[in-house]
Amino acid sequence: MTLRDDVANVLIPEETLQARVAEMGQAVNGLYDEEDDPLLVCVLKGAFIFLADLIRHLEIRHEVDFMEVSSYGVGTESSGVVRILLDLESNIEGREVLIVEDIIDSGRTLQYITRNLRTRNPSDLKICSLLSKPSRREVDVPVDLIGFEVPDEFVVGYGLDFAEAYRNLPFIGVLKEEVYTLR
Amino acid sequence: MPERERTIPGSIRRVLLDEETIRERVCELADRISDDYADDDDLVLIGVLKGAFIFMADLARELTVTHDVEFIAVSSYERGATTDGAVRLIMDTRSSIAGRHVLVVEDIVDTGYTLEYLLRNFRARNPASLRACVLLDKADRREVDVAVDYVGFTIPDAWVVGYGLDYADRFRTLPYIGELKRRVYE
Repeated sequence: MTLRDDVANVLIPEETLQARVAEMGQAVNGLYDEEDDPLLVCVLKGAFIFLADLIRHLEIRHEVDFMEVSSYGVGTESSGVVRILLDLESNIEGREVLIVEDIIDSGRTLQYITRNLRTRNPSDLKICSLLSKPSRREVDVPVDLIGFEVPDEFVVGYGLDFAEAYRNLPFIGVLKEEVYTLR
Repeated sequence: MPERERTIPGSIRRVLLDEETIRERVCELADRISDDYADDDDLVLIGVLKGAFIFMADLARELTVTHDVEFIAVSSYERGATTDGAVRLIMDTRSSIAGRHVLVVEDIVDTGYTLEYLLRNFRARNPASLRACVLLDKADRREVDVAVDYVGFTIPDAWVVGYGLDYADRFRTLPYIGELKRRVYE
């Protein structure tokens, strides 16, 4: 048994994924001027593989930083308030910020992160996400760059996990239902 | 990964390890790790931010053994006293590592103090096993004995950047490992 056996179908194959990431890199290059120095904010853990590939296509000046958040647990989901486990190392006041996400689902966590970062007065705040599940959206978060819109299925791979597994699959796959209902 | 013409920044003296060389070596390391942990079902890779994230992303994708990925963030204490390598753990692992097979993933080992400190810290948590995997080893700089089980490349004592390694947060995302010109950091 390998992890791939738990995947019902490949939603986005590796080549399609890589080609789109390259396009997104070019699009990010186009978002900024020469005098800009955007800080790419990677939301851990899910986005680290996407970020590692995205930056290979960047020709603009930039730096990277990381944030890790966790929800406060049951009952708080509707508020979207999250606990910041790791805050940015950099001060973003007066600076261009690009949030790099793996997936946008309800949008609540992202909305909270956005609101939180906005209080720090960046000169500009944009959002880039590899995947989006529009049918799951509960709050309106303006996303500047989306890789793929995906249906409301249990997707894993390329950073996305189920119970910490499957993150390292090089493609985006749909998990077999028996995998997440049995465990 | 598409290859294309890239301008080498003026601050880079030379490319020490190009993309292809790194990619091949990362695959070799992943093969060895996959073999060594083939019979263990609870491997956790712990990457040290920020430097290790690219190495981790590429290494993890090549592993055939199931594993979890964790990241930790550390910072050095402000007032000197680095002789014991003590670092402040800014973000610890999310899950417990007790009884699990732990592989610490670092971009570079230099004097060895920090890595030795981290390994000591993790060992105290009673993992089933504990090893370290570093992409780059500046062996000439070593001041403390630390066992590194998987080494990508042994490199000379120069300021290297790229593939996760930075100089004042610059050059971190270069796809190759380059040697910085002395005038930049002196």
